[in-house]
Amino acid sequence: MENIKIVIIDDETPAREIIKHYLSEVESVEIIAECADGFTGLKTISAMKPDLVFLDIQMPRLTGIELLEVLTEKPEIIFTTAYDQFALRAFELNAVDYLLKPFPKRRFLESVKKAISKIRSENGNKEPASQLLAIKPESASPVNRMVVRKGNSINLIPVEEIRYLEAQDDYVMIYHEAGKALKQQTMKMCEDTLSKTDFVRIHRSYIVKVSEIKRIEPYGKDNYVAILQSGDKLPVSRSGFKHLREELNF
Amino acid sequence: MKHPVLSNKVRLIVWWLVWLFLALGQSLLFYYAYGKFTYIGIVDSLTSLIIYSGIAISLWYPFSFFNTGEVRPATLISNLIISGAISITIWVLITKYIVLLVLPENTDYLAYWEATFPYRIGTGVFIYGLVVLSYFLFISLTNLSEKNAKEARLESLVKETELKMLRSQINPHFLFNSLNSISSLTITDPEKAREMVIKLSEFMRYALSRKDEQPVSLQNELENLRLYLEIEKVRFGEKLITEENIEHACLEFNIPVMLLQPLYENAVKHGVYESTESVRIITHVRFIDGFFEISISNNYDPAPSLKKGTGTGLLNVSRRLELFYGNKGSMKTSKENGIYTVTLYLPIDYK
Repeated sequence: MENIKIVIIDDETPAREIIKHYLSEVESVEIIAECADGFTGLKTISAMKPDLVFLDIQMPRLTGIELLEVLTEKPEIIFTTAYDQFALRAFELNAVDYLLKPFPKRRFLESVKKAISKIRSENGNKEPASQLLAIKPESASPVNRMVVRKGNSINLIPVEEIRYLEAQDDYVMIYHEAGKALKQQTMKMCEDTLSKTDFVRIHRSYIVKVSEIKRIEPYGKDNYVAILQSGDKLPVSRSGFKHLREELNF
Repeated sequence: MKHPVLSNKVRLIVWWLVWLFLALGQSLLFYYAYGKFTYIGIVDSLTSLIIYSGIAISLWYPFSFFNTGEVRPATLISNLIISGAISITIWVLITKYIVLLVLPENTDYLAYWEATFPYRIGTGVFIYGLVVLSYFLFISLTNLSEKNAKEARLESLVKETELKMLRSQINPHFLFNSLNSISSLTITDPEKAREMVIKLSEFMRYALSRKDEQPVSLQNELENLRLYLEIEKVRFGEKLITEENIEHACLEFNIPVMLLQPLYENAVKHGVYESTESVRIITHVRFIDGFFEISISNNYDPAPSLKKGTGTGLLNVSRRLELFYGNKGSMKTSKENGIYTVTLYLPIDYK
């Protein structure tokens, strides 16, 4: 049987040390890389295709959650973090387990065992996320950037540069100052994580930044169209119009 | 304050019912005074009390004007007497004029008028007193409930602030990550683990003493901050570099305990946590024009972070500056060439 290939991604040296130490007692595993930030972690995972990744969440340049969002081929993930408000989100992203620092060895070995058996049984037969999917993550404050993948490069788009979002099946097309980018995410998720005061869902398929709207004109019976600073025209549904009215007080 | 009667439909209805009742009372009284029952009495009472009701409604405005702030009782009473005399005079004159208009010319209203006149004045005074009393009652009840609401608001505000302060005292993320480092060090370097436990304990002891709001010397405060930074250095190693440039004579001046902590926490959070390069946190302290100036600067990664800062740390510091120094202390922040700097100016005469 081949060794299980492991990558450890954490920005703190002692945090990586303890994982290495605990793993030294596990048979048939091999640590193939260690990374100290999200970007390097992403590149390493893409290049080395590990079976299992220990992933911290709060890291420079790219958080563990964002890393997982843009990863196309996902290895098994065990989150290791001192934050606990991300737990539900982590399960949505199909993590095997979620270890809260500092974690005891017994707890650590349990989740490694779980991960190994998952990997051994038909090599990463991904079952759908648990019923936890239905529960909304506790997103306390709105995000400030969105991560997208363009070919091999990863781009961070600052939220203030986003003009509007358009739903495209399972993806969202992000129109921003420097062009457009596709991201695998639901409109609902975008709506939940973006600032409620800056962005409004004007239509089933559109979320627009309020300050981008130049004017709103009636269009046919009961419908409206929003004309943006850029000249783009977006449809406004009846409930979207209601949202806009609440947001802009007219 | 809104008009107590006009601003509320139910009160307006009750108001008119009371006046109807008063009209009934007045006609009974005048019946007694005049000696016989006549329809003149009904017309007179209804007309006069409708007029009085109008006067009473408008009385609210001078009354609420008289009764504001720190008015002396003597002034208030004389104001009330004057406005009462004017109201009653107006009432009597208008009533007489209108009833004479309403009634047919051959009726002997003037006889009725003369017979009931003293009673009329008495009713006028009585009702005036009633109106003034109910307005008094209304104002004091409103003030009471307003005061209660204000107190409740203030109380919740104080609690909230206190909670926020407690929360900002020790960042749980910092605490748990430090504990994780210790857990790791017990294996790789037990000696260092013990040192870190001691540093963390000392830091916590100092941080917990904060609720006393005792001023401490700058020296003490800086020693504690060094502890904090050393703990973070164990976590981040070479990535965190600190530098100090402190005028020795400044050390004995007092500052509020833990005043600077949020500023260093910010430097670590936005600098070290978000950067892959090493981050240099530089502290300058010096005298300048009767103030002492503390500046803390750090380089940072210009890429956008996942979440914007909430500004709680800076808000906390500026609130405390205000509480301790009034308008004598100040804080300014600047971003230049990838370096973020916070500068405090504190008066040296602080005890």
